[in-house]
This record gives sequence, structure tokens and C-alpha cells, in this order.
Amino acid sequence: MKKVSENWTHALTSGTCSASLFPEFETRAKNAAAEVFRVKTAAEAKEVIANLVKYTNARKVVAVDSPLQQAAGINATLTDLGVSLYTEQADIAEHAESADIGISAVEFGIAESGSVCQDALAFESRLVSMLPPLHIVFMNSNRIVPGITEAMETIAKVYDRGYISFITGPSRTADIERVLTIGVHGPSRFVIIAVDEEVNGGKQ
Amino acid sequence: MEANNRNIKNEIQEKLQDEVLRGALSRFAEAYPISRAKAYENVADIEALREQVRQMKMSAVADIENLADKFEAEAAKRGAKVFRAKDGNALKEYLINLCKEKNVKRIVKSKSMASEEIHLNHDLETAGLHVKETDLGEWIISLAGHKPSHMVMPAIHLNREQVAGYFSKELKQEIPTDIPFMVQAARQALRGEFLEADMGISGANFGIAENGAIGLVTNEGNARLVTTLPRVHVVIIGYEKLIPTIKDAAPILRTLPRNATGQLMTSYMTMTSGVTPVMVKQDGKWVEQDKELHIILFDNGRLQAAHDDKFKEIYQCVRCASCLNVCPVYTIVGGHVYGHIYAGGIGAILTAFLNSMGDFEKINELCIGCRKCVEICPGKIDIPHLIEELRAKAVKEHGLPFGVKAVVENVLSNRKVFHTLLRLAAIGQKPFQSGRVIRHLPLFLAGMAKDRSLPAVADVPFRDRVSKVTRKINQPVKKIAFFSGCNIDFIFPETGESVYKVLQDLNMEVVFPEEQSCCGKPVLGMGDRETAKRIAKKNIEAFEATGADAILSACPTCAETWHQTYIELFEDEPAWKARAEKIGHKVCEFTSFVAKEYQKAGRLVKTAGNVKVTYHDSCHMKRGLGIYTEPRQLLEAANGYELVEMKDCDKCCGMAGAFGVKYTELSMPILKQKITNIKASAAEIVAVACPACMMQIQGGLDKQLPNVKIKHVAEILAENIKE
Repeated sequence: MKKVSENWTHALTSGTCSASLFPEFETRAKNAAAEVFRVKTAAEAKEVIANLVKYTNARKVVAVDSPLQQAAGINATLTDLGVSLYTEQADIAEHAESADIGISAVEFGIAESGSVCQDALAFESRLVSMLPPLHIVFMNSNRIVPGITEAMETIAKVYDRGYISFITGPSRTADIERVLTIGVHGPSRFVIIAVDEEVNGGKQ
Repeated sequence: MEANNRNIKNEIQEKLQDEVLRGALSRFAEAYPISRAKAYENVADIEALREQVRQMKMSAVADIENLADKFEAEAAKRGAKVFRAKDGNALKEYLINLCKEKNVKRIVKSKSMASEEIHLNHDLETAGLHVKETDLGEWIISLAGHKPSHMVMPAIHLNREQVAGYFSKELKQEIPTDIPFMVQAARQALRGEFLEADMGISGANFGIAENGAIGLVTNEGNARLVTTLPRVHVVIIGYEKLIPTIKDAAPILRTLPRNATGQLMTSYMTMTSGVTPVMVKQDGKWVEQDKELHIILFDNGRLQAAHDDKFKEIYQCVRCASCLNVCPVYTIVGGHVYGHIYAGGIGAILTAFLNSMGDFEKINELCIGCRKCVEICPGKIDIPHLIEELRAKAVKEHGLPFGVKAVVENVLSNRKVFHTLLRLAAIGQKPFQSGRVIRHLPLFLAGMAKDRSLPAVADVPFRDRVSKVTRKINQPVKKIAFFSGCNIDFIFPETGESVYKVLQDLNMEVVFPEEQSCCGKPVLGMGDRETAKRIAKKNIEAFEATGADAILSACPTCAETWHQTYIELFEDEPAWKARAEKIGHKVCEFTSFVAKEYQKAGRLVKTAGNVKVTYHDSCHMKRGLGIYTEPRQLLEAANGYELVEMKDCDKCCGMAGAFGVKYTELSMPILKQKITNIKASAAEIVAVACPACMMQIQGGLDKQLPNVKIKHVAEILAENIKE
């Protein structure tokens, strides 16, 4: 999968990111209507995913791969649940629009605003995060930077070209009578699964 | 443009009667300051952050040509085609040709104010293209055939019933007024548009010179889809959005969402630099290819502003529209009255550059100079000041309207004529006067006096009372020259008497130079600098001659004019500038001066009292001079009074010089809010330190809350002094 950088880990660990910022990040993300699940090991994430699939009665899932998802064995879990899972680029392009859930990974979180930063150069990573009504992201709970300033400093280290996004809660609008309404053009639910266990990158 | 035959008065009346608009705006005006404050709770130093935005944007505009070159080069290096469009026609020609060349039929747009500025959609549709706005608010107003009434919330003037009506018509089915249902209906309708579009057109919240990236903040996610799904992406970005580096986006991202919508961050912030991958279906198979990226760097008057010493300040704008949200006039009439695309104070200025001075002149008076916007603008733009500059520019170019010119040049600039007229007015008004306010006015003035009594010109002006109130002070500690200003001289001479009493009680000698006249602010407000200069010179000469230690004014507008405006006026006359600076240093505002003296004398001690008094902060006093604690300290120290605060104590009373008379229909609703807040405070006395506010609020109290009285702080202090 194409990425803006393969050096996010280095950019982050040489900066100010810390697991101690997670509680603040979690509070702010929840204030922005994100759902946050913190798990100790990647394996525990399986249960979260399984529950989400069951409760939403999901039949079709599109996912872009990440080391965290691999460590968690998410694909196997989903297949076991009997959902149709699409992970290849062309399949994602075909099925994202009709999928119930999109799964991707993000590079880090921002405590100040409860946002996550997604390296979204890959076209398919944007499809899974925008078209299905539920978007689930994986992240490391120790990859939290204090503020937007630090986030931009981190990005500046690796960003030459391509597509980078902050995602803060689900898609929303208040354009009719200023009434907050969730889920316009993007997903109406945004779920963050934060894993404490450090899973080192590299493709397996 | 269409603005040329406008009847602003009629348009204002129409908006004042629009119950939907009035309701939405007043609820928003209530809620906005609270949500903004909450969003900034986790910012340690807001002022430092605003200063960071200001500095960054100032350095960007100072180097705009290099920045644009760099941005263009870096974007091009990464595969973008950059086109510099001088105006709307150049932009449209480029875009329509591009559509032909790339066989584009269907276009989706995410919000771009720059495209609205030139009515782009209209031309694209005329060229046979299928164009859809995808921001929900923009889509709604495009269905309604309206212009945006707010930069961030374009459809704030419509209610759910109206929106459901437009949706039903567009989607050819009955759409109920349930908001979540309507949003889902829009999602479904527009999803197909995204998927089928050949081209996505987006605006940009910032453009980064360092790597040619553009940044977009949205809540709905439409910008993410517009920049992702179609095979061609066109960015329309104004020069004012350019910033040097990736890191420079941080201060914008920390302020824009907080100020615009009270959010710590919008749902989506997207940065895209250079060509990115896109997948298209060819012969039934999905294949990845490079997206075609075009960036249109849009001028349309922006570069002219960048090279103007004063107006380059508009580059500090991040388009959060928060200046509208706190504007006493905008929050009553909404955005359409401003005539073009950009509303409110900043809108008036942008209109001058992006449209024409003629369009600006139609609406410039809607800024009442209260400076509420200056307090919260992330880029710290002095919007009212820029509007004054533009007015001066307009007057320099076309002169004042004939009737006004006659009055200004023949009356206001000549003290004797002006004062003679005021004395005659004192006699002429007799038939309509009861007590000290004019309750009923004949015929054409009736609208002005409906919810507000107008003050009467005093029988004996202060200048004729001076000799009676002047006491001989033995070994005075200071010599004070009193600048009364017109209001105290001719409307509230009792306030002048109180000032004398308080200062003489401090063992100071007080003198009143006879040759003093109006400070010149009303003339400046109309944009006539030459007349203002003549007035200023007379005043400076008169006060230099007194040899006083300090010059005191009990009117914050006069004080500020002396302090600041006189110096600015003589930018081209160094000798006069030096004199204005020297004497300006001696000018003190009454309450702050007395508070300091009382403090020294141990008299600034809080006392208990029964009479509830509430203090109204004048705009020029609080946001002009930065004085708001001293008058409160004086009131707390005054025997017999208990200070209670009212809601929105520092919100404009609606007087604002000539505005209160010329735009009575707008001034009255603003005054009404003030009277409501006074009533809710349960105060028996309203204290002010500004005679113009006193005139306005007194008039409102007389008609709407007759049991509450208004007093200048000087009068309250004087009451406490035994003869």
C-alpha cells in the first residue's frame, strides 16, 4: 500500500509522543463523538471487532492492511464471522461503496483535539475511511502527541507529497438550523481501537 | 454588479421582518460566545496564539510574490499544473477549456468562497456542465437560488420547513422536516454525484509553499470525497491562503475550527500535495492512475491589497467568520444585506477589493465600529479601522455627498457656526421637549423616537456654565484643562459640572479653553480627513496655550481621538505630528485618571450600599482605551451603591455616532437588547463613562424602563462630595 512515509515510527519516537497523553486524547476523541476502545494486546482487539460486526449486523467489510491488524489476526476473525472481507485494492474500489464497515490504521493521535492522523496517500485507504457508514481505525496507544503544533512538527519531518488527513470523530453537519447531525457524506460512526502492545512495523 | 441600484434601507426592512432569520441569528448570537470560550479552554494563552497567527500571516503577505513562486514551483515539481488567474473571466476560461480537453461532464464542488465570488457555477452550467455543490449548506442554498448568508453556515437564514420544501422539489418526493432524515436524504442524493463525477473542485483553507500542499477543513467529509473520487481535481486558492511551511498550518488549525464553530478540530482536515493516485474503471476493471491536478491561484484584487500598506492586513484573515458572529449589526440583519458573498465587517472590506469600491460604499455604514470583532479575530485584524480607511479613500476619490459636504465643511469645521446652530436648536426644540428628553418628534423623525426618546440640547451649554462652577484652588496640585466634547458641552452640561466638582475636590485647578470644538471624530467617521485636520489643529493650538499638566476628557471617543487619531492624521505633516504626539500624551480619560488619584488618596475603598448600580462598558472605552476596571472600582467605592454586573455589559448600545440616527431601524433592536439586560440585572441606576452611550441608553430607558436612571460615573462621584 502506498504511503506518504514509511518513517512515521521514527518521526514520532524522536518527538514528544507519549502513552501518558492517552487519557486526554480519549476524552477529547469521545467529546467529538468517536468511540474509543483501549486494549492491552493486539489479540484483544479481535473481540472488539467481533462485537461491532455482530451489533451492526455487518455483512461486508473493506479493510486496508496494517501491521497492527495483522498482529491481531483481524482478517481471520472477520472471515470466521462469515462476513465478506475485501482487502485488495481493486476489490476495495469495487465494494467500499456498499460495505458496512471500513477498517484502516492511523499513525498517531493528538491529545489537544482528540484527532487521529491518517497517512492517506493510498486511494483505497480513503475509500475505506469515507464510504462505509462505520469506520474503524487501529492505532498504538503510545503514539499520542500533545497538540496540533507537535502534530504538524511530526508531519513536517516526513511529508513531502501525498495525502494526509486528521480525522476527528464521525462526519457531521449543523447546516440545518444549527442542529448537530452525525453522518453526512462520511461515516456516522467512528471507532478507534488503541492497542498498548507495541507492534513493530514491517510487512510480515 | 447587481449592487448598483440597491435600496439598502428596503433590504434592511425586509430582513428585519424575516422572523426565521431573526430567530436563528439571535439564538446563534447567544450560543456562539459560549461555545467559542469552551473550545479555547485548553489553550493556555489565546493572545499568544492569535499573535502567532498574525505574525505568520504578516510575514506571508510581506513576501507574497516569492511565496507564490515557491508554491507554484513546488506544486509543479509534484505534478500539479498551476495557473494564475487574474480575475474571474480568466479562471472560468481556463476551467471550461480544461473540462473540454479532459472530457469532463460532471463536477462536484466542495466549498469555495472564491468560486462564489465570481458566480462560477452559473458559468459552468451555461457551458453545459453538470455542477453540484456538496457541502450541505451550499447545496441547500443552490437549490433555493440564494447567496450564502454566512461564510461558515451559508444556510443559517433558512429553517427546517423551508429546507424540506427545497429538498422535496429537488428530489421529487415528499421530504419530512425531520433534520436527521433530511441529512440522510442529502447523503443519498449526493453520494451518486461524488461517484459519477469526472472533476472535483475544492477551495483551500491554506496553501503551503514549502511543498505545494493545500489544506482543507470540513465537517461533512465532502472535501475528502471531492479531492479523492473524481479523476481530475481543481483547486481554487486565493493568494491570501498561502503560508510558508507545513508547521505554519498549526496556528491556523488551532484557531480556525475553534473560532468558526467552537470545535477543537473539524471532523476532517485534509492536506494533499502533488498528484495522488486515483482508481478508475476501464473495461470493467479497476486500474490505478495518477490524478490530474490543477491549482488555480486566484488574484481578483487580492494582489492589489497585498501591496497596499494598510490593506495587506486582510491577509491575516483565516475566514472563520467569527467577526460576523459577534457583530451587533450582522446578528440582526444577516449576510444578504451586505450585498455580495462576503458578509459582515470583513465582508465589507473584501467586497471593496474583490468587487468594487462602489459596492463597498453601499454597505460601509453597517459597521458601527464597536470592535467586538477585533477582540476575537484569530488574525487580530482591526476591521473597523480598515473600514474607516476605506471610507476615507472613498471620500478622497468622490468627496462627500453634497448635503453632507455642506454641513461638514461649513458647519462642523467652524466652531462658531456649529455652536450657534446648537444654541438655536435648544430654542427650536421647545415644543417637543418634556424634561430633558424629546419624547415626540414630528413626522419624518417619528421613526427615530419610537423606542427611544432623543436627548434635548441643553438650555445653557457647559461653556456658559464654566465660570459658575470654577472654584479658586489655593496651591493646586495639578492644572487640568478640560476637553468637554460636544455631548457634554451641549447635551449633558451637568456631567461637565460633576467633572469640575470631582477634580476641584482633588485640589486641582481646572480650566476650559474657550476655543475648543468638536474632537472631529464624527467628521472622520464619514471619511473627511481634511476637515478633521482643520478641527484637530484648532484644538491642539487651544490646549497647548493652557500649559496644563493634563488634559481630561469624560468621553472615551474624544480621548481616543486625541491619543491616537490626531497622530495618525498628521502622518504627512511632521511638525503637526510632533505637536499632536506631545499633547496627546497629556490626554487622560476621566475615570482612569480619578481612580489613580483616589487610590493615592486612599479613597478607592470598596463600600457597602443599597442602591444597585450596573456599569455599561462603552466600546471605545473598553476596546479602544482598554479601560474597564477603573470605573467599576470607582463605583464600588462610591457611598450608597452596590455594583451588579449585567449580561453582555460590553456589548454596543447601538448609538455608534451617526449610525444610531441614520439607521434607527438597526439601532433600536440593539438598544432593546441592552435595555433587556439592564432590566434583568435589577439595577436601579445604569452608570456609564461615555456621553454618547448615555444619550442612547437614556432614550431607551425613558421609553422602555422609566424607573431606571442613567448617570455618568462623574455624577455618582460628585454626589459623594460634600459642598
